[in-house]
This record gives sequence, structure tokens and C-alpha cells, in this order.
Amino acid sequence: MTAATTVELTGITKKYRGTTALDAIDLAFQPGITGLLGPNGAGKTTLLRIIATVLSPDAGEVRLLGRTPATPDELAQVRRQLGYQPQEMGFPRAFTGFGFVDYMAVLKEWTARAPRHNEVRRVLDLVDLGEVATKRVRTLSGGQRRRVALAQALLGDPHLMLLDEPTTGVDPEQRVSLRQVLSRAGERSTVLLSTHQTEDVAALCDRVVVLDQGRVRFDGAVQDLVATAAGRVWLADAPDPAARASWRTGTGKHRNVGEVAPSGSERTEPTLEDAYLLLLGDRALTTEVAA
Amino acid sequence: MTTLVQRAEAPARDATLRTLAGVEARRYARHPLFLIGVALMVLVEVSIANGLASGTGDAQLLLVSDGTTVPAFFLGVLGVFVGYRLTRSMARAGEAVEASPADGVTRTAALCLACLVPGAVAMVWLAWNYVAMAVWPGPYSGAISSTNHAAMLSAGVVYAVGGPLFGVMVGRWTRFPGAGLVASVVLVGWALLSTSGLLMSPSRIGTLVHLNAPFTTWVSSDSPTAASWVAGGSPVWYLVYVTLLCGVGASAAMLHEAWGAQRSRLVRIWAVLVVLALVSLALAAASDPARILLPRG
Repeated sequence: MTAATTVELTGITKKYRGTTALDAIDLAFQPGITGLLGPNGAGKTTLLRIIATVLSPDAGEVRLLGRTPATPDELAQVRRQLGYQPQEMGFPRAFTGFGFVDYMAVLKEWTARAPRHNEVRRVLDLVDLGEVATKRVRTLSGGQRRRVALAQALLGDPHLMLLDEPTTGVDPEQRVSLRQVLSRAGERSTVLLSTHQTEDVAALCDRVVVLDQGRVRFDGAVQDLVATAAGRVWLADAPDPAARASWRTGTGKHRNVGEVAPSGSERTEPTLEDAYLLLLGDRALTTEVAA
Repeated sequence: MTTLVQRAEAPARDATLRTLAGVEARRYARHPLFLIGVALMVLVEVSIANGLASGTGDAQLLLVSDGTTVPAFFLGVLGVFVGYRLTRSMARAGEAVEASPADGVTRTAALCLACLVPGAVAMVWLAWNYVAMAVWPGPYSGAISSTNHAAMLSAGVVYAVGGPLFGVMVGRWTRFPGAGLVASVVLVGWALLSTSGLLMSPSRIGTLVHLNAPFTTWVSSDSPTAASWVAGGSPVWYLVYVTLLCGVGASAAMLHEAWGAQRSRLVRIWAVLVVLALVSLALAAASDPARILLPRG
């Protein structure tokens, strides 16, 4: 049985001072985790902001959770089922982690004190911040702040979760922990995960959308994207100047990603990152790898 | 397996507003500038009480009609900063806040309700004034009618609420750093300019110049050695005027976040309040401009 569509975008266009951030995008999302990949400026954050109802498109139609958020009532109905972690999120200076998430819970209409506090403790525990919840947010590390931001997005187990680079600055152990949290969320909710971490997408997502210059370059299963790189990744003793990308690995071999097999090379299994590099070509190199 | 969160149906907007207003009120009450203002106000009032106990005439004069400057400054002017900072502070969390079901009007209304915190402190100040007047009745007490006297003192409470409301409004409509400071300077400058009305000979124009400011003092003197006097005009209508200005500020703040039918409704409310405020100011200035002499002693 096909899961109900929770996000429907038709002809979404957004321009900033003449620069097209999104160019007539058509996308639909169902429950599950979808990764959004793309170089800086590809339109990922703009897309999430539009779905989060904090930015209006210049053209096109947005339907979220079966509603068109065009009136205050419809907007409120959608937002009640929405969890959003923006790419950049500041925190008021005086707030503790608990205080901030509690404030956000009030904004999300948790008016009764006891259940609200229980819920705040639950989401802080989910992101492993229970022990530092009483510390001021400004004293927390960058990774911990990202987790505070994620915690508020998890409040109430929303049906639609929009996460813009949630694992940036998070240490590997916490990243694995967060993957568990997100994978559970993806069992019942629609989770859109914008990230530069291809390994997160490979580990978590059953679908990936690659955006570039405001357009969808790929939309499909993660393994289908990986399959596009099959037979185009080699390990060799030397870098191949003709390769799209080449780097020395920890084993001393050079991983060459390109169309032609370097001499004396052996073919190897591609990763999502290889496929992404091949899909976007030089643009991916200049914006992702080089960065 | 996913943890299912037990949650009741979405509560009424009023319940969210009440809860949010409580949170904002606690944030206001804990703000360092507010606490400093209250501490300084207590110090001034203790000093006045000492003056009253020792029978100093100036202390009685301050208590009778000019004491409104105490809450006006320590709660009102400092409150501009507090209201502004509270409003802007959540802007750091920007889009996460914006994407919540509590819309901008509700969030702003909660901030406006939190401005009742300094008002509550000013009510205590008002009560203290009445107690002090009962304990240490001064030679000026009978010079002003009790209604006008009550209106003058009550204005102190309105100043304490109005300053923070102005700060919330500035916080909603401006984004540049230092806007709170600029707003305070504008407010104080407006109040100081209005005192030029006290330098004019008693007239309705002079009264209008004096009373148009949202903060004002009622007592002045032609020279340090001359008798003091209470300015002309109607303190009662002035009280109505500054109260309506609070409504103008609050509705203007909420207007920033409103859209659709809600915005149209708020625009109408704002326009009605502006008209009523102007009418009240006109009535305040239209009253007898004659001054009441308060012989020094």
C-alpha cells in the first residue's frame, strides 16, 4: 500500500534579487526519511524554508499534510504537526537548554505544565542532553547546541520533520545516536534531511533528492544513485589526472572517480559520495569536496 | 519502536496566550535591568520616606504630585530596554519560532501582557504613596482635588507599563542594534521637550505642549526660590490619554505580525485608539489651564 503523500510541491519557484534559488520544482514526499543533497546555493535551505511555511514561493503550489497553508487557520493546523530545525539557529542568552525547549513547547501549544515538562525531558534525553539541560545554552558546545535545536524539532513527534544540517558539528558517537533517533522518527513521520554528509544520507535515507542550481538533478532511492557510479570508481597506485576526483586513501592507494579506468587500477565498490561527485561533476568538487 | 506522545487536542488560542504570557512575565521579572530599576526605585523611595519622617517639605512635594518620575524612569524608561530586549531575544531563534503554531500576534500579545509586571510593581509604589500620605500628611495635600491627585499618581503606573510596551513595539518594527537605546532617547527627549509647555504662560496651547508627551511631570517652579505650582489641564483626561497610548503601542506591535483578516481588525482597533487618544489629549488640554500654587514650606 502506498503511504499518503504529506508534502506536495508543484512548480515551486523562488528568486532572490534575480538569482533563481528554486526553478519550478515538482516534488512529493511520503513518510520515511529523504535526504536532500546539493552544493552550497543549490536551493536546499530555501526548499526547507518554504515547506516549513516561513518563506513563500514566488510561484507554485504547496500542499502540506493535506492542507494548503494559505489562511491563518490552515497554517496553524500545519504548524501543529511540523518540527523544524533551521540551518542556523541562535539562542536567547539567558536560556538554559531545558528553558529554551520548554519555551518552544509552549509555542507548540503544550499549555499544561506537567505534560509539557515531561515532553521536554523526553526530547532532551533523546538527544542525550538530559544531563546538561540546566546549563545555559551559550555555555554548551556547538554540537550540543545543534542537539538543543534538534530537540525542539522533535517535540510532540511531529508528522513532518524538516532538519537542515542537524549533524553538523556533532561528534561521531553522537551522530550515531542521532541516527537512531531519526530512524525511529522516520518510521511514522516524513523526515526531510538536508545535509552535506553523504554518509548520513547513506545510513539513514531510503530516498535522496539531489538539487543543483535550483533544479532537481536526481530523485530516487539511495541505492539507485549509488548504482549510477558502478564501474566508475577505481583504486590505483597513482592519482589519475583524467579522473573527476582523486585522493589518497589511508591504505596508500589512490581512489579515482571518473569515466576511464587508470592504468593498473582495480575497480571498487562506489559509495554515495562517489555517485554524488559524478552526478554534479565539477560543481560538486568546487563546492563540497574543496570546501 | 516509536514512542507515542500523549497529547490532548490543540488547545484554544487563549490557553496558549495565557501560558506564554506567564513565561514572558517570568522572563521580564528576571531581567537584570528590571531588577536594577526596582532596586533603585526602592532606594529613592526610602530616601523620600526619610525626608518625610524628618519633615522636609521637598519630600512631601515629591510625594504629592511629582513622584511619578520615579516609576516613569526606573520602570518606564528602563522598561523600554527590557521590552525591546525580550522581543528581540527570541528573534535569534528566528525561523524555529516562526514555524510554531503560536502565531506572531499571539507571541507579541504575550509580551505585551508581560509588561504588566512593572505595572504591578508600580501599583505597590502607588499603594506606598497613599500610605505615606496618610502617615505624613503635607501642607500641599489639600491644594489638589483628590480625583486629580489620584489621576496624577496613577499615571505613574501607566508610565511603568507604557515604556516596556513601547520597547516591544520598537522591537517588532526595527531590527538594527541599538534601536532600544534610540527609542529611550526619543521618549526622554519627547518628555523633556514637552516641559517647554510649563515655561509658557498658562494657556491651552501651553497645556497641550506640556501634556502631549507620554511621560510628564506636573509640578514646576518659576525659580528655585519661588513658589511651586501644579500645571493646568485635566490629570484625569491625561491619564486616559496615556492609557490609550499604551493600547496604541500594543496594537501597533501586534500589527507587525498580523496578516489577512486579523491585520484588518488590528488596523481598525489601532485607528480607533489613535483617535480616542487624540480626543483625550484635546480634552486634557482644554481644561482650565490655570496653575495651582503650592507655597514652598
